[in-house]
Amino acid sequence: MKVRPITLLVFLSLAGVLMAPLCAQQSGGTAGQQALPDDADRPVPSEVKLIAQRAAMSALTGENPFVLRESSWSGEIAPGKARLLQLQLFKRNEYHFWMAVPDRKASVNLNIYDGKGQLVGTENISYGAGNVGGLIVTPRETGVYYLRISLQTTIESPQKWSVIYAWR
Amino acid sequence: MSRFLLFSACLLGSVQISLSQGTPEKIDLNDPNLKFVDGSVIPIPLEIFASLDKLGKQDWTKQIKDREIRLDTNRSRTAMLFGLTVSEGFIAVQAEDKDAVRRIGREVLRLASSLGVAGSVEEHANSIVNAAGKSDWSIVRSELDKSRQTVLTKMAELRDDELVDLVSLGGWLGGTKVLASVLQGNYSVEASDLLNQPELVKQLRVDFGRLPERAKRGKVFGQISKTLKHLESLMRTDIHGIISEGKVIEIALSTKSLVEAIYES
Repeated sequence: MKVRPITLLVFLSLAGVLMAPLCAQQSGGTAGQQALPDDADRPVPSEVKLIAQRAAMSALTGENPFVLRESSWSGEIAPGKARLLQLQLFKRNEYHFWMAVPDRKASVNLNIYDGKGQLVGTENISYGAGNVGGLIVTPRETGVYYLRISLQTTIESPQKWSVIYAWR
Repeated sequence: MSRFLLFSACLLGSVQISLSQGTPEKIDLNDPNLKFVDGSVIPIPLEIFASLDKLGKQDWTKQIKDREIRLDTNRSRTAMLFGLTVSEGFIAVQAEDKDAVRRIGREVLRLASSLGVAGSVEEHANSIVNAAGKSDWSIVRSELDKSRQTVLTKMAELRDDELVDLVSLGGWLGGTKVLASVLQGNYSVEASDLLNQPELVKQLRVDFGRLPERAKRGKVFGQISKTLKHLESLMRTDIHGIISEGKVIEIALSTKSLVEAIYES
């Protein structure tokens, strides 16, 4: 059976998406370190950010890929709690957000609210394990929006989190 | 092949349009119990230009300026210039102008050197120059964003937090100046809403106001404060959801004047 390069690329991307949460839980740090550059001058992405980046991979390739931003948000969140991130989104663009926490038993939620605090319709995406989640939003208007991230009470310990985003 | 596609679809996980349990339909943004995350992520000009291009292709080449950057010992000004130069790079990418991108790649390195972070940016700057030579615009775009983020990260590590805010402000200002200039030349009600950024301008103004006085030495920094306050009132849609042509012209003039002042101060 012949395997085209593009087929292989898609497969590797998807495998990365599937394996990301598992790798993070099992490695205790090694999964992230494998991808890190030797150059100590470079900023080193946190392991939890790498989980989010792996989940993003499949959306960043193909015919109409999202463009990943280098900027990100991070922090720590307790189960049952929520945080709001202020965003400036532009009409006619699509935005893809990913959130990750390390514990695979965790369950994250992402939602978007407009500048008046009204919930906005989104396409929510799951990746097989609850510690990574994503959503796609197409803003109807240009303006301020709020990404609400929350952690369900499926675990007890607070989690470090990372949010990344891409646009197209 | 079909089996492969089926397998891939399973791997991708479930895509759902649904709301999780406990998600409120509405939140009171003035609720003191809400926890907001500090730290704005400023949109890069390409995000905005991409939206504008969806309404019709623009002539971005008109927006590229070949100017000589004169550096002095004022690091705050250099940080603003770095942000402005990266935004010029994004404009050159949009215009697919190889020569401009190569020139800007070299300027990015020179400015990073002046800020003491050349070692971290050198690889990205070289990638910008090389990728521009091959017209690989997605790489140029990515490396410009990486250069910007690397400088911000290094500045934060070096506890130069005030410079972080100034790099971000410079980048936003450069992009907004060009956006307003394009809209001024080809006004449309539909596109005008891209300038609807009151909360972002407010955040930039508040961040700038919090900077220590030592980071705002020089006449131009007084102008920044006034311009941001002015822009905050202008960059807001009216009850019909538009920003008038008059306001767009005013935004274009204000941002152009400030950018010129930063380059020439």
